[in-house]
Amino acid sequence: MVKNDGGQLYTIEGFAAGLIMVITAYLVVNATSVYTAGDTHINDMQLEALGSDAQKMMDVAPNSTDSISPLQEIIAYTPANAENATFNTIFRDYTNRIGAGPNHDIQFIANYTCRNSDNTTSIYPLASIPLRHLSGGEHTVKATKWVIVNKDVCGNAQNRAVLVEVLLWRD
Amino acid sequence: MARLNDDAQWIVLMGFLVSFSFFFLAIIINQSTVVGQTTAESVIEFPKNDIRDVRQVIGQSVNISSNFENVRKDVAVLSMSRKSAVVEYTNFTAANATYIQIHYNNGVTEYNENWTVV
Repeated sequence: MVKNDGGQLYTIEGFAAGLIMVITAYLVVNATSVYTAGDTHINDMQLEALGSDAQKMMDVAPNSTDSISPLQEIIAYTPANAENATFNTIFRDYTNRIGAGPNHDIQFIANYTCRNSDNTTSIYPLASIPLRHLSGGEHTVKATKWVIVNKDVCGNAQNRAVLVEVLLWRD
Repeated sequence: MARLNDDAQWIVLMGFLVSFSFFFLAIIINQSTVVGQTTAESVIEFPKNDIRDVRQVIGQSVNISSNFENVRKDVAVLSMSRKSAVVEYTNFTAANATYIQIHYNNGVTEYNENWTVV
């Protein structure tokens, strides 16, 4: 058998090229899971959709025999500047903060705004989760819902539209 | 001067090809960082829920015709002060059908609708 030791440099070069290609393929495949600053908007989007859906469900009457929705009832029968425990319970339930299954760590503050007769607006609190002061570092999103209530809001005892706003964030 | 050596031209050509492929792969990696941003941002900025919500409340307000004017002012004033959006709507009856004209504009997205209630 003839021993042929020619072309050894070519073999080494071939191995090196192969290695470079494998590493490149690995880097490119891996690049899709890079978490950039822009991707944080995806979480915001999901949180906003969750809050918006929860509010929408709260404005649906639970039975066909019920004339008003839980949200309308909460706004109508909560005294001004008082918080409402029912809103707290339902909203936490709908956003999976309490109830069966895995719970989210969602925090929120809810309020509603109505129009005074001189076209200024007044904000009244509805509910809030945190038992502490806000630091300003929370990364919040806002979900809103229009509700028509037939009760004394902003001093008007008629059918009026109010805007419910919920500020949501995760801890 | 040494004579021109034109050996191994295939190796040189393949080297060029590999280097070009690196260049295009770098462009792909570069673009992947902005994909999540543009899609999620456009979803957040587009006021789909706001428009659907305001349509719903306008539909409800037409049924309570006694207080239609007050609700119309509520929607206009609260949209401006809390949502930074101009919302104006009117309803009128013509040829036995009721029409609601809705105008929504938040500076980025404009939405106009002529809604026939019948």
